[in-house]
Amino acid sequence: MKYGLTKIAGALLAAGFALNAQAADITIAYASDPISMDIHEQLSGGMMQFSHMSFDPLVRWTQDLQFESRLAEKWERIDPLTMRFHLRKGVKFHSGNDFTAKDIAWTLDRLKSSTDYKGLFEVFGSAKIVDDYTIDLVTTKPYPLLLPMATYIFAMDSEFYTGVDENNKDKAAVIKFGNTFASGHLSGTGPFVVKSREQGIKWEFERFDGYWDKQSPGNVDKLTLVAIKEDATRVAALLSGDVDMISPVAPNDHQRVKDAKNLELVTLPGTRIITFQMNQKSNPALQDVRVRQAIVHAINNKGIAKKIMKDFATVASQQSPAGYLGHVPELEVRYDLKRAKALMKEAGYEKGFKLSMIAPSDRYINDAKIAQAAASMLAKIGIKVDLKTMPKAQYWPEFDKCAADMLMIGWHADTEDSANFTEFLTMTRDEKTGMGQYNCGYYSNPAVDKLVNDANVETDTEKRAAMLKQVETTLYNEAAFVPLHWQNLSWGANKKLDMKPVINVMEFPYLGDLVVAE
Amino acid sequence: MFTFLLKRLVQATIVMLVISLVAFAVKDNLGDPLRELTGQSVSEAERQAMRTEMGLNDPFVVQYKRFLINAVQGDFGTSYTFNRPALEVILDRLVATLELVFAATLIIICFSIPLGIYCAINPKKWFSKLIMAVSSIGISIPVFLTAILLMYVFSIELGWLPAYGRGDTANWLGWESGFFTLDGLSHLILPAFALASIMLPLFIRLVRSEMIEQLSSEYVKFAYAKGLPQRRVWYVHALKNTLLPLLTVGGVQIGTMVAYTILTEKVFQWPGTGFLFLDSIQRTDTPVITAYVIVVGLIFVITNTIVDLLYGLINPTVNLTAKG
Amino acid sequence: MSQSKHMSLLEVQHLQIEYPSRHGVMVAVKDLSLSVEAGEIVGIVGESGAGKSTIGNAVIDLLSPPGVIANGEVLLNGEKISGLTREQMRTVRGSKIGFIFQDPMTSLNTLFTIEQQMVETVLANEKVTYEEAYQRSIDMLNAVGIPKPELRIKQYPHQFSGGMRQRVVIAIALICNPQLIIADEPTTALDVSIQDQILQLIKTLCKERQVGCMLVTHDMGVVSSVTDKVAVMYRGELVEMGTTSQVLGAPEHEYTKSLISAVPRSDIKLVRFPMVNYIEAAEELHQLDIANHWLGQSQDQKAYQGPLLKVENVNLRFTTKDSIFASRREYVQASNNVSFEIVEGETFGLVGESGSGKSTIARAIAGLYAPQSGKITFEGIDLTALKNEQARRPIRRQMQMVFQNPYTSMNPRMKVADIIAEPIRFHKLAENNQQVDQIVADLLDHVGLGRKAGIKYPHEFSGGQRQRISIARALATRPRFLICDEPTSALDVSVQAQILNLLKDLQDELNLTMLFISHDLPVIRQMCDRVGVMRHGSLVEVGESEQIFTSPQDEYSKSLISLMPSFENLSKAHLQIASS
Repeated sequence: MKYGLTKIAGALLAAGFALNAQAADITIAYASDPISMDIHEQLSGGMMQFSHMSFDPLVRWTQDLQFESRLAEKWERIDPLTMRFHLRKGVKFHSGNDFTAKDIAWTLDRLKSSTDYKGLFEVFGSAKIVDDYTIDLVTTKPYPLLLPMATYIFAMDSEFYTGVDENNKDKAAVIKFGNTFASGHLSGTGPFVVKSREQGIKWEFERFDGYWDKQSPGNVDKLTLVAIKEDATRVAALLSGDVDMISPVAPNDHQRVKDAKNLELVTLPGTRIITFQMNQKSNPALQDVRVRQAIVHAINNKGIAKKIMKDFATVASQQSPAGYLGHVPELEVRYDLKRAKALMKEAGYEKGFKLSMIAPSDRYINDAKIAQAAASMLAKIGIKVDLKTMPKAQYWPEFDKCAADMLMIGWHADTEDSANFTEFLTMTRDEKTGMGQYNCGYYSNPAVDKLVNDANVETDTEKRAAMLKQVETTLYNEAAFVPLHWQNLSWGANKKLDMKPVINVMEFPYLGDLVVAE
Repeated sequence: MFTFLLKRLVQATIVMLVISLVAFAVKDNLGDPLRELTGQSVSEAERQAMRTEMGLNDPFVVQYKRFLINAVQGDFGTSYTFNRPALEVILDRLVATLELVFAATLIIICFSIPLGIYCAINPKKWFSKLIMAVSSIGISIPVFLTAILLMYVFSIELGWLPAYGRGDTANWLGWESGFFTLDGLSHLILPAFALASIMLPLFIRLVRSEMIEQLSSEYVKFAYAKGLPQRRVWYVHALKNTLLPLLTVGGVQIGTMVAYTILTEKVFQWPGTGFLFLDSIQRTDTPVITAYVIVVGLIFVITNTIVDLLYGLINPTVNLTAKG
Repeated sequence: MSQSKHMSLLEVQHLQIEYPSRHGVMVAVKDLSLSVEAGEIVGIVGESGAGKSTIGNAVIDLLSPPGVIANGEVLLNGEKISGLTREQMRTVRGSKIGFIFQDPMTSLNTLFTIEQQMVETVLANEKVTYEEAYQRSIDMLNAVGIPKPELRIKQYPHQFSGGMRQRVVIAIALICNPQLIIADEPTTALDVSIQDQILQLIKTLCKERQVGCMLVTHDMGVVSSVTDKVAVMYRGELVEMGTTSQVLGAPEHEYTKSLISAVPRSDIKLVRFPMVNYIEAAEELHQLDIANHWLGQSQDQKAYQGPLLKVENVNLRFTTKDSIFASRREYVQASNNVSFEIVEGETFGLVGESGSGKSTIARAIAGLYAPQSGKITFEGIDLTALKNEQARRPIRRQMQMVFQNPYTSMNPRMKVADIIAEPIRFHKLAENNQQVDQIVADLLDHVGLGRKAGIKYPHEFSGGQRQRISIARALATRPRFLICDEPTSALDVSVQAQILNLLKDLQDELNLTMLFISHDLPVIRQMCDRVGVMRHGSLVEVGESEQIFTSPQDEYSKSLISLMPSFENLSKAHLQIASS
């Protein structure tokens, strides 16, 4: 079959026909596969990767974090609360149904009922359908993140998902760990339809015949997605040619992939920040900004990124990675042991003190090693660290109790926006608003709270950027947390796969556009 | 016979009750399933509500009682990640695990018996010494190391065999297995050898020492005195007596092998129960974890019973009725 | 022998068997020459270590490694069969020479039926069809006296009794019509009644079929009852050979004389065994002034009126098949309404075949088993009523046991002195450690080990010496009552004679009362004043031992006594015969 195709293609080429590309058949290995076919069941990296394969959002991020038209051809702000989207015509769902504005309205309603998304979409009211191909998204307050949120609106086939299934249950139901219609059936507009699925083992996709995007250069005809949890096995599968593309590639194996002559390794700086929080509630010493600064100055995060992460991380001085609105390039990485000692002396802790630290051992890349390194670095300024590392399953309950003086946490902003970091990690804890939900540092600064709250209703991008930069600078000066690094992202693939154009810092490659050379 | 089975049943029930209690008690210490199930921005109040809805906030005794009542009806709860009954998920994967165990067992039998016998009857030859030396090293090499080595040599360097997964399966007499396709077999070879490598040295030594013991026994001497050829003495008389104790040890070990598959399955991404178990621990999929522990416990009990029955059938001096 | 033209069936010439090892060469058999004629039974007799089994193994080239024939040759019908290749030797085994081993349980393969094991023998040696081989097997089983051979041939060895199993072994040994059979202790593992049948069977078959037989045994009784000629081995050397009547009636060699005198006689009761120091010379017994010694000063030597021990209607059963249904359970009645009395100072013997329940009674008396019903009284105290260890302790001290295998009842990591001192310390019988040491040393002297033996460990002693240790330990509590359960059945005859002598001496000195259990009738006759005969858990007859041996009343006792190997041609000269 393959041989035949090549022959025909060769003949065509010889005859002077320029063929865009031949259909290709590839296998991709990730660490895990999506747990469901219902993209609203869980907000996770794997689910987002899957969403971009079988569905299309209104708009999507480009590699430089701008917005690119997908199902929405154009959009315009009508008033501070409303954004109008002009939808693409002639788009069909896998079921054959036509895509119209009602599907977007239906999808938005469904998002608002999903456990994982309802928080993010709380600010949205119901959409107003203007006509079949025009829809207004309305927010309850001026909302600067409307477009980023539109990247989450993957049109679902409202007709397909309406009614009751054979068990007499609502097809639209979105229930975690429930055997719903949507968790096993799918109709989106995306480039791939699901052919078969063995959960936890492999998914087989086939290109959707009726895919609307005829401009897409993508030529992948059949795509198999397999889950290979073990880092070494995933790399071995790539090296042996069993799979064509893998992600992530463990730092230890980068060189081997680079050395293989038919393989290519691509890494990108990621957006997940790894930090230590300093618990001011459990350890009074940490209430002193000089002590916090001393800790930040004592931890050599550059060294950690280089030695422990093997340069597979971008050293950080703040929460927002470059490209985010709040990123302040001027904030420099602080590592200065002398200054750290001086600060300790100034604060009256010349002789140091004891503190407890916890970190997970299987959540972030090299998490336990990083914590051990940090603990020994703190010993140099007289802080004796009682470190406990544990599997994530045990770690999170401990973290929820804020059960240590220093706690490791990593964060990726679902909104790809600076404010999100602060909302969850450094704003004053507030049960009612849900702000500061993961703030185990108990850092509290009304000025920061106000800036973030204001920024969240500021639709003028420039003004908003200024506010968010102000937040980062304040947190930096007050040493609200210990920034370590942003984890990098990595892909390894056969060179015939033109991987670079389709990957991005959000870690969801647009595989529909992937070009495979023969 | 009836009494024997009845007694076994009572014993098994007690064992299973204890196992279930332990499995159930342990699961509370594996972490919070909600953390794995929900996105990071879901509020704590929301999680708490779900926990209550799932009954995770009930007292231990209430939860255990509910679990037992359901378990007796074959319901071990619904997997959080698979959205399907936990037992069904495990039984689906069990086919792959049993296939692996079966293949490894075949390898163990095919290698340990000839090699063990060779070492027993030629104790002074260099090849025997080599086998014994390699097997004593083999006992101390951890399985994941063997697995990675095999993978490195045969998948990456030589490119002969696939590095992961199970390959195509075909159905034969209702048995869905990779044994019946070339692709399935090629996927099976490396994991089966890796798994077999744990027990193979042990079995070679077992066969050897058992055979040596049999060869020095009185009936072997009598068999020679009867004028039987050496081949018949070795391969008929001594061998059968060698294999008998092997059956008891071996049978039980094969039961344990179902649990040993965890590491092998992890390395080769073999879609069996061991791999599922590890995955479930990471995802805190407690219904699957509990069900796995119980299923494995049951396999232990069943293999032990089968081994005892077989032993009774093969060894004419054992009377199951009296033993019962 | 070479001068004669006549070739014997088997000729062993200047045979030397050696076991080389790192520590030098052990010579198992030295320059041995003997011959066996067709139809003749030659006994090879000797004690452990005499090398008698090695000869038989060497003849069919089955020496256990590293044994080798260092010198000499073996001829069968004039043809040399030593030094053949494996395949040549194979054609000799089975078809020309049959072999019978000591223990029929271990010489048959438990996993194969009798049919499989017999037929394969024929098929391996002769070119016949399976059907012929099968028919031959049936005929042979018939010939060795196995009833319903068609049925039994399908069975497995464990379904046969010991005697039947040995018959099967004999059938296998003879099925290919060998010219010679080598029987290595063929009856040692069997009961007396069966022993005789097997010996007669071998004898008849040899005579009928003109088969030569080399019969290796340690038992003079066996020798005297079946052999034509006898060769006496001592430490690898042939010390005497001749016709059986000649060797037994008028032994020439000192060792032979000593050996014969050590055999417990079934015809007369002797005071002591004479001349038994040839093999294992005991240290001279130190004469102790018993009356003034600690050993003789037991505080509770009060004369008790009436029998010291009374066993009344004791019943004891063991479960052989358990079931949840009471009706399905099966038991063996190990002791069925047994009653007897033992008066102070006498030796009461219990005799019977294996499984007759004699040991069970001993254990019940010692308090190791609790009887289901009945009463055991010692000095008027009902032992079965004693509920706890505390109450039983004084009785325990007065009652001691000596077992068949002393080695298993000793802690191998304890020195002999500590083993003996243990009960003295436990029952607090001495005032201080010095006194304990003194008592232990005296005891060791007294049982003929010498006080230096105390610093050694049990494994450094031979079987007979170990039995002396266990007797010393039993005496250490100054008991009044000694239970001896087959105390000498694991020992060679000469050693047995020494131990029996020791027991007799001790009894006289210390006024011990003894319960003596043995399957060996002559031993019982030599040791006991009164005897009880047991069968299937019941006591069939009790009486004065001389009366039982000369005119038994019960049918079973009669048959048992008639089956004792007789020594009619033994000389009675120089013997001290006990007056009854």
